[in-house]
Amino acid sequence: MNEISFSSQKEQGKLDSVASDVLRNVRLSKGFIIWIGFLFLALAACLFAYIIQLKEGLGVTGLRDYTSWGMYIANFVFFVATSLVGMLISSVLGLIGYNWVKPISRIAEIIAIAFAAVAGLVIISDMGRPDRFPYLFMFGRIQSPILWDVTVVTTYLVLSLLLWFFPLIPDLAISKNRLHGRPPLLVKAYEILSLRWEHHESQYRILKQALRILLILIIPTAFAIHTVTSWLFAVTPRTGWDSTIFGPYFLSGAFVSGTAAVIIAMYFFRVNYKLEKYLTPFHFERMGRVLILVSIVYIYFNLNEFLVPGYKLKTGDAIHLRELFTGHYAMLFWSVQLVGLVIPVILLLIKQMRRPVPMMIISAFVLAASWLKRYIIVVPGQGHPNLPIQNVPVEWVLYKPTLIETAVTMASILLVLIIITILSKLFPVIPIWEMAEDEHDKEKLSGNE
Amino acid sequence: MKYLIPIALLIVLAPGFAWGQDWVVPEERKGRLSTFPFTDETRQSGEKLYVTNCISCHGTPGKGNYISLVPSPGDPATEKIQKNSDGEIFHKVSTGRGQMPSFRNILSGDEIWHVVSYIRSFNKNYIQKVMQVITSSAYPGAVIRMTMGYNEADSTVFVSASAVDEKKTVAVTGAGVRLFARRYFGMMAIDEEKTTDESGKAAFRIPAGLPGDREGNVHFSAKFTDEDQFGIVSMDTILLAGDRTIPVSLLAERAMWNNVRKAPVWVLLTYTIGVIAVWGFIFLIMMKLRDIYIIGSIIQGKKSAEAITETENQPT
Ligand code: HEC
Repeated sequence: MNEISFSSQKEQGKLDSVASDVLRNVRLSKGFIIWIGFLFLALAACLFAYIIQLKEGLGVTGLRDYTSWGMYIANFVFFVATSLVGMLISSVLGLIGYNWVKPISRIAEIIAIAFAAVAGLVIISDMGRPDRFPYLFMFGRIQSPILWDVTVVTTYLVLSLLLWFFPLIPDLAISKNRLHGRPPLLVKAYEILSLRWEHHESQYRILKQALRILLILIIPTAFAIHTVTSWLFAVTPRTGWDSTIFGPYFLSGAFVSGTAAVIIAMYFFRVNYKLEKYLTPFHFERMGRVLILVSIVYIYFNLNEFLVPGYKLKTGDAIHLRELFTGHYAMLFWSVQLVGLVIPVILLLIKQMRRPVPMMIISAFVLAASWLKRYIIVVPGQGHPNLPIQNVPVEWVLYKPTLIETAVTMASILLVLIIITILSKLFPVIPIWEMAEDEHDKEKLSGNE
Repeated sequence: MKYLIPIALLIVLAPGFAWGQDWVVPEERKGRLSTFPFTDETRQSGEKLYVTNCISCHGTPGKGNYISLVPSPGDPATEKIQKNSDGEIFHKVSTGRGQMPSFRNILSGDEIWHVVSYIRSFNKNYIQKVMQVITSSAYPGAVIRMTMGYNEADSTVFVSASAVDEKKTVAVTGAGVRLFARRYFGMMAIDEEKTTDESGKAAFRIPAGLPGDREGNVHFSAKFTDEDQFGIVSMDTILLAGDRTIPVSLLAERAMWNNVRKAPVWVLLTYTIGVIAVWGFIFLIMMKLRDIYIIGSIIQGKKSAEAITETENQPT
């Protein structure tokens, strides 16, 4: 028998009910096939745009000599930022001892994996000669933050995968005998991936030990990945990027977008996967508080980032800030800051707003604003380099993303959705054993045989 | 209809405005000519100077890619600039006007002529006239010649000027002279303006530590300040008057901007140690997966052994 033999009938019953609730979604339902089919079709259309870019070169984008980092890099920063939430939920909140994050932590990890994995691809889409990508490893300079970024993003992706996989092992073992009527290939995959898990005490001990190391290790790595991403900008003397607080500024912004992404995903799984029992209004209420906290920290860093240069008004900064506050980017800037940050915080302070539906809507605004915020950080400064732009056509000076660029960016977003869909469809989204363990003595769950 | 009058006015007045903006060169400067013939060498040197000093505004000659300023700089290959006489181009480049910078203290006289020779290479109909005699009101009919030398004992560069005609050579006295040393981005004035003495000499003190090339050579340019009285008199020469400067390659030492083999040690260490530490842990954790698997195998082995013994025992 590969089943856990529970010491009490009650515990076995609890496990059974969690497993059946969670595993109900592990099947190729019609809705899923339509949804994934739609995603792949849309992806194919967008990849066609990328093929055009491959053939014609980056000239098909709005990128030119002066604004050479546009939508792609803004999107990359957004992806890296959003992926950080895996660390925030599982590690920071988990290690503090908040048990309520348990049902959410796997969702957070899935989001982390999807965004971190695609972030790397986004960088390749920004390359005019992607065939030269291996040169980064052959001739990469260890002094360059770009090399550090590649290193830490890869590391973070591996750590997130491990952090997703380890707690999944017992679930796979629990589930493998309950997958009646699922594709045999999937059952076989469960069998292999469960690594002969026997719910033995010593196996749990190893698992917990590994988890503890991972949870600690991922904190500096996550800090590193977004700090290094901010250094891609902050180590240049360019106005708008030349800032000493870019590391924490990016990091705090990352928590905002990641938390919003998790809330949206929670809402989606709660409704579509019928997981109301596990992702309760209580969890939304808590996540609402987290969102308030991280947003306030981010507002604080925004204040620093704009007030200090705004007080000194060095020539370059003056031009840059005028563009943002009252100039070409004013509309975008103020909507992002107000609709995407200040107003959500004010709304979320009201308890009624921390219920699932309003939370989901507010988070959608916050997430969209987070994307646009990256655009505002990356693009405007390049229109005003320290040496004047001269002797070039106007369209080289003002950056406007082209349709092809937008389609390629869409492709990356679709890819994220595909990864999230597949991971959450093939494997349990709610940790079964942890939920069952929740109400019972850990020893009893693990210490049998 | 109501636009007709303004438009008509514009058409009538436009040439007037343009005329108002004409760049008038004093009559006596128009006829100025280079004292040396234009050769491939002067054209090449002129091209180099043009690329560093002029291309940013005037664009590549013949391409019409000059920047839009008012008044327009214009393309040097076109009529707009070619219709100028050599003397007019020389004057305009050295004095400048409005957005057009003055190159008097950036390029030496010879260098401006080199640029002119380059600009003229885009004009097929151009035939150069070389100035035979430098007209000087102080020494009518004579050519003013300069010689320059370096006096190591008191580290001065002396300039000695004489007026030469068919019959005699006399020292040019009381003439103001300035000395410049050529640097990367223009001419650096050396010492004050000096006046030639009875023997036609003026001496300039060379500041200690003036950087020269590998051998200590410095490119000097001396020039008379009073053009009205003496005409343009200038001379370029190379003297061994500076310190030897062995250029150090920026890539010689470990530096942030260097290649990976010359990365600063601290970057190398931080990166390597960081990567090894984190990936060491990752490796350890991967090994834990193996441990879980091995334990599971042992337990399953035991179980099936038990199952076998059970089935064996049952019949008995
Ligand atoms: C900062 C921009 C700039 C640079 C650098 C520059 N020019 Fe000009 N140049 C102008 C402008 C503007 C005009 C028109 C000025 C006017 O008409 O008032 C002009 C006019 C001229 C003219 C006169 C054109 C005419 O209509 O007669 C000549 C000749 C000329 N430039 C040569 C040069 C040369 C040779 C150099 C390099 C040694 C140079 N310029 C560098 C901007 C520039």
